[in-house]
Amino acid sequence: MSGIIDSRERVLGRIRAAARNFAAADPQPAAKDAQELAGADAAIPRRYARSGRLSAEARMALMAERLREYGAEVAVCKPEELAAAITQQIAASGRRIFVAPPGIPVAWRVEVANKIKGFECSFDHGLQIGEIEQAEGVMTAAFCGIADSGTIVLHHSASEGRRMLTLLPDWHLCILKASQVVETLPEYFDRCPQPPALVTWISGPSATADIEMTRIQGVHGPRFLNVILADDRGKEPAVH
Amino acid sequence: MSAPGGQLDDRAILDPAHAPPFPAAALTVLRDPQLRKNVAHATDVIQAKRALLVAEKTDWQELRSAASRIKEEALDHLGAYLKQFEERCTAAGGTVHWAADAAEARRIILEILREEKAEEVIKIKTMTSAEIQLNPFLEAAGIRAHETDLAEIILQLGKGEPSHIVVPALHVNRSQVREVFARRMGIEDLSDDPQALTAAARGFLRRKFLTVPMAISGANFLIAETGAVVVVESEGNGRMCLTLPRTLITLAGIEKVLPRFADLEVMLQLLARSATGERMNPYTSLWTGVRADDGPQRFHVVLLDNGRSSILARRTGRQTLKCIRCAACMNACPVYRQTGGHAYGSVYPGPIGAILTPQLEQMQHAQSLPYASSLCGACYEVCPVKINIPEVLLELRARVTDQERRQARRIFDPLYIGLRVANLLFSRAWLFHAAQWAGRIGLRFFTGKDGWIHRLPGVGAKWTQTRDLRGLPRQTFHAWWTGRRQAIGNRH
Repeated sequence: MSGIIDSRERVLGRIRAAARNFAAADPQPAAKDAQELAGADAAIPRRYARSGRLSAEARMALMAERLREYGAEVAVCKPEELAAAITQQIAASGRRIFVAPPGIPVAWRVEVANKIKGFECSFDHGLQIGEIEQAEGVMTAAFCGIADSGTIVLHHSASEGRRMLTLLPDWHLCILKASQVVETLPEYFDRCPQPPALVTWISGPSATADIEMTRIQGVHGPRFLNVILADDRGKEPAVH
Repeated sequence: MSAPGGQLDDRAILDPAHAPPFPAAALTVLRDPQLRKNVAHATDVIQAKRALLVAEKTDWQELRSAASRIKEEALDHLGAYLKQFEERCTAAGGTVHWAADAAEARRIILEILREEKAEEVIKIKTMTSAEIQLNPFLEAAGIRAHETDLAEIILQLGKGEPSHIVVPALHVNRSQVREVFARRMGIEDLSDDPQALTAAARGFLRRKFLTVPMAISGANFLIAETGAVVVVESEGNGRMCLTLPRTLITLAGIEKVLPRFADLEVMLQLLARSATGERMNPYTSLWTGVRADDGPQRFHVVLLDNGRSSILARRTGRQTLKCIRCAACMNACPVYRQTGGHAYGSVYPGPIGAILTPQLEQMQHAQSLPYASSLCGACYEVCPVKINIPEVLLELRARVTDQERRQARRIFDPLYIGLRVANLLFSRAWLFHAAQWAGRIGLRFFTGKDGWIHRLPGVGAKWTQTRDLRGLPRQTFHAWWTGRRQAIGNRH
């Protein structure tokens, strides 16, 4: 593999040589990388919108509208009605075989299990691909919602599930609280003090426009995305 | 439109070393009304959607400025950021390889696949793999590569070539897709409804996703701060390839590195709006190395130079490396919209291809591409990272000219003889006046009654073949000005 190690030096050497053409970019050739990169961020002009302007109510309405525009189903409910809303969504979907991440609140599934005949939910304590693929639906929480683009963000915690859990079943029910919804994308980044190691940003069900630019919903990912927005404003302090 | 056997009859050569010059390649397309119609329709649809979503964004120009600076900053410290990415990706369980050129990248990928005893591999659409011509190489080594993006399946099954970097099969219409799928997937009664065609692709690939243990992806961004990789997609085929296999190989150009995780707050707002006219694409995935209970347990990144560092050394040309591959420039380009992508003889077509390909080829091939533009500037206006494409085109034209005029065979080239003569005439006033006088007399024989020259002999015919030339006026401006001043002087 010695040739490969040489390549690293070769590529980095060429990049160094290119930098020498621009004196300003390379003040001290011997500078350590960390020194070189310190404060580089300050030079970026960040005059774009970094916070939202909508009221909490308008933000929720925008989130619902943008989700629907991309073909997601949205139901809004009060926090105390959440279990009922979940039950209703699952009953209406006609789907009974579910998977879910182990960390979702117990309350979310008790009522469903009691009220819907034949409802089965396997919790993902290391389920096999085949078992997840057999499921008709999946139910998860989310890390954040971004109203401006109707985006749901998963950081794949214990209540959001492993990545394949929200990928293989055809129907994804995602429960999002109003306090988790921000208006703009930069506000989501403000909510990540530490950069996450795994992220999936989901905006509507899977789709393609590869044939004559006709948008077709449902390719390889879930063909259906249902979102329940639990309006918990007043219960938790809204984040500004 | 399709040739027998479910082949798309567009066996374009997308290797700059062997492709015909742009004007020659464009001619075949210009004679194919179906293809032009397909390209015009697709680019019209994306442009209209993009325009709506850009208009609703009140801070679009501020986002462009920030994105442009972020990419400039990344390129200014490219070596340091790549090393940082390597260190953090490795710490998170990934393996980073460096490839100086295409051959080396292919060899590294094949070695990994051989070590894993792979017979087949699933792929997410990556133009970088097309750039290094990975699929034919793997095929020759006995490894089947399955493309999983819908457009790429259409091209792979139909033996066609990509003509766009975001919607690679935009030159193919639904009945052509139907024919390819019906034959190659063995579905007799397939309709040409895009919904049915998409469903056919879903069924065709499902087993592959669940069983093939190796995947290859490209990267939209590499994050130096954390060692993470970001892939932006729509269909979910990307998530399948990134999540289900045992081993994942990511091939990325060295210019894909972003300094910080938070820089995505700018890039992700610009990319989908520019590329597909969506506020956000359906799926964006970010992962960092490997995680014990989630996703591939072996992860390799191949960092590809292949000519990029030589672009970095050019003052004007280096901005080419800011590109985030959104394809807005080709959708907006009046030349691309007529010729489609294949005429550019490279996997990177359109305005960005016209500046990227000749530079990647280190000015050894594709010298006709810098001329494949009217310099109207539409590409610069829509570019989300503010690449001044016309400026780079002009610089490349100058380099092509400098290169050509030193070649012995160009000594008697009429163009260069003409330029040498012009150089002489413009540098001596008396010669210039004499030439004007001679030209007025000489051209009088070819000038029609309407004051236009419709046909010239010899080399001049190259001009009049496609456009008329206005005849020289009776008087030059210089003569008119002198006469006028004398007339005013006489009045006083």
